[in-house]
Amino acid sequence: MSTPVDLSEFLTAYLAEVDELLGTTSTMLLAIESASRRAEPAPMQVRELFRAVHTIKGLSGMVGVDAIVAITHRMETLLRGAERRGGKLPRGAVDVLLEATRCIEDRVRALHAGVSVEEAPATLLGALDALELDVAQLNEPASFTLSLEPTIRSRLTALEHETLIGAAKAGRRVVTLRFVPSPTHAEAGVTINTVRERLAAVAEIVKVVPLAMPRSESAPGGLVFVLLASSVSSESELATAVGLELGAITTVAEPATAVMPAVPEDATRVEVDDATGVRRAGAVRVDVSRLDETLERLSSLIVARARLAREIARLHEAGVEVRELRLIEREQARQLRDLRASILALRMVPVAELLDRVPLVVRGLRRTTGKSVQLEIDVGRDELDKGVAERIFPAIVHLVRNAVDHGIEDRAGRLRAGKDEEGQLRIESSAVGSGQLEIRVIDDGRGIDREELARRAGAPVPETESEVLALLCRAGLSTRDEVSDTSGRGMGMDIVRRIVVEQLGGQLAVRSERGVGSTFVLCVPLTISIIDAFTFECAGQRFAVPLASVDEILEVDPASVRQGPSSAGLDGAGLLERRGVAVSVVHLDAVLGLARGRERVTAKKGLVLRGELPVAFLVDRMLGQQEIVVRPLLDPLVAVAGITGATDLGDGKPTLILDLVALAGGLVTSRRASARARRVELRS
Amino acid sequence: MTKALVVDDSKVMRDMIIACLRGRPGLAFTHASSGLEAIERLSLAAFDLVVLDLNMPDIGGIEVLEFVRGQDRLRTLPILVVTTRGDEGSRTRAIEAGASRFLTKPFTPDLILSEVGALLDRPAST
Repeated sequence: MSTPVDLSEFLTAYLAEVDELLGTTSTMLLAIESASRRAEPAPMQVRELFRAVHTIKGLSGMVGVDAIVAITHRMETLLRGAERRGGKLPRGAVDVLLEATRCIEDRVRALHAGVSVEEAPATLLGALDALELDVAQLNEPASFTLSLEPTIRSRLTALEHETLIGAAKAGRRVVTLRFVPSPTHAEAGVTINTVRERLAAVAEIVKVVPLAMPRSESAPGGLVFVLLASSVSSESELATAVGLELGAITTVAEPATAVMPAVPEDATRVEVDDATGVRRAGAVRVDVSRLDETLERLSSLIVARARLAREIARLHEAGVEVRELRLIEREQARQLRDLRASILALRMVPVAELLDRVPLVVRGLRRTTGKSVQLEIDVGRDELDKGVAERIFPAIVHLVRNAVDHGIEDRAGRLRAGKDEEGQLRIESSAVGSGQLEIRVIDDGRGIDREELARRAGAPVPETESEVLALLCRAGLSTRDEVSDTSGRGMGMDIVRRIVVEQLGGQLAVRSERGVGSTFVLCVPLTISIIDAFTFECAGQRFAVPLASVDEILEVDPASVRQGPSSAGLDGAGLLERRGVAVSVVHLDAVLGLARGRERVTAKKGLVLRGELPVAFLVDRMLGQQEIVVRPLLDPLVAVAGITGATDLGDGKPTLILDLVALAGGLVTSRRASARARRVELRS
Repeated sequence: MTKALVVDDSKVMRDMIIACLRGRPGLAFTHASSGLEAIERLSLAAFDLVVLDLNMPDIGGIEVLEFVRGQDRLRTLPILVVTTRGDEGSRTRAIEAGASRFLTKPFTPDLILSEVGALLDRPAST
């Protein structure tokens, strides 16, 4: 029996997983590079890198992205060779592997954008092939022994031996932990996965060996797992952390005493561990569009609640006892608010994850500028809405580029200024007030020269920091004579300001001291909502409506609109035939009470509402379709039914976002109300 | 119900495999994200079919096969190895270690269904 399963349905999930694997690839490559600067192999990182690349290859094959398969296949071959040689990579390999990673990223971006994927560059494939030959020239690692039970020892590879011995030499305890799985354990949630996770939090696991044993009451599965790990903790600390009895743990090699840790754990490495630690624990990957869909469903629920509230008010007017109904309605309102907050929380991503790629950017800058820069990222567990994160990232990259390119001096310059040879670049974040996050990009470079800035901008010397910022953000301003490769001319401060202030509704500030350094402060809301919207003009004003609420845009000749019976009580309402079905037509300007000049526009566009209500809103002119950032109207005085918020279409002026569903809902009830009024009181 | 254990460290891959196998009625799925988890599940419960990846973070599919085939109870369990390693060496190693059948990624839904069919529909005597 054949089943029509279209694996391209998995494309979104594929892209998300590959994105994540590419993050691993970059961090591992950087860790390998920093180890190689100390002339050390990085066996665990090479293995991790190999695995990430291998998985990308497998997935890409399934969804048929041949270019990525071609690249990853060669990366994989190269890395497998390196893994067999104790994690040694030939000179220049990291550069080529980074280039390969970039090529994969380009192709992933193309898939994201839905454009065709270019073939793998032949030069890159050639370079990877050449490296593979180099790997074969590297020597195999020397072998040695470790005191372990023979059954387990025989299962270790040379690389795993080396890693364990190396750990003991570096002052770590090498232990075995025995875990016997059983249904009782499994019911209590204690499985090999949880044991391994818990141990991994306090130790570095090198190997897990499954051993068969006779089935018995104490070993119902006939299986024992032996985990080999190194740690700085004691046996009892390890037992407690894992939640097993002390007897499960045996020390295989005591930490070598009086041996200094071979190398202090380097900053990059620590970052890697922290970042992965934050994000891996029990995570679920969800397509953002699904969350948006959920929010949209919630919005219709909120509209339904508003209708309910109106009906309750109507009953009350008619003299019905509604106290209990009101209580329920209020309770429901509170629950809806909570639900909305919970859904919004799902969209939060760790800032640490957002900044994953920054070390890579800085690494590139180190090479192009020849400057020595130390990057430190301290963002703790702060989180941002996915939409905010995506928008803010280019701004951060701009600031990082500027800091290295223009802020931090070259080696000679720094020594002359009496500074450390290595420039310091720091990105940190902290929550401010409710719902805002402050991100600071700090360098210890030359600072901003106000006189020079004034001269270039042809303006008076700025006296305050906000004046400095205003000058920096003038479009097209550059504080340097030459156009640099990395930052280009114009520095993009204007773009940074536009993203932070206009798009996200946040604040941007600069603190700079001549000779000491600069700090750029980005203060942004934790969450924003972004929707696809149609923008249009009506009675000389611009409006936006969510794309999702519009079923169709029609050309409407006002002359073809017939006055129908349901239009009573509504100015300009009528009927229009659409594919044999009558659609109510209303003039948006009339609904909103907009003043219009003498002349009436003759040709109109009709936005037909999606949903049960066949209503078309007549507007003057469609402007386009774009993503907009919704800023809710918080002032209760302007909380008007039918207006969800405001947005900035890039002209700096607020544009109202209309909720056509609510507007139509309002029309129906007011129409009914007016019909009733007519019936009962013979008015109108 | 025929109980199938799908072992792959990639969630997307697991989902794809299960989506493909849904074309065969009467299968119930359990999955494992690592070789160790697979061994644990196999030692604690009975399964009728295993779909096994070779490359996984802790222990690979070959080691899972070696372990499983070393257990009397599991010696005849049908195991379909599904892997990106398409070379002859990998196939030989997998078959030697005890794989019942071997399928290379990328595969089509029809292909994996026919592999599974070949494993499950054979006469009980063999």
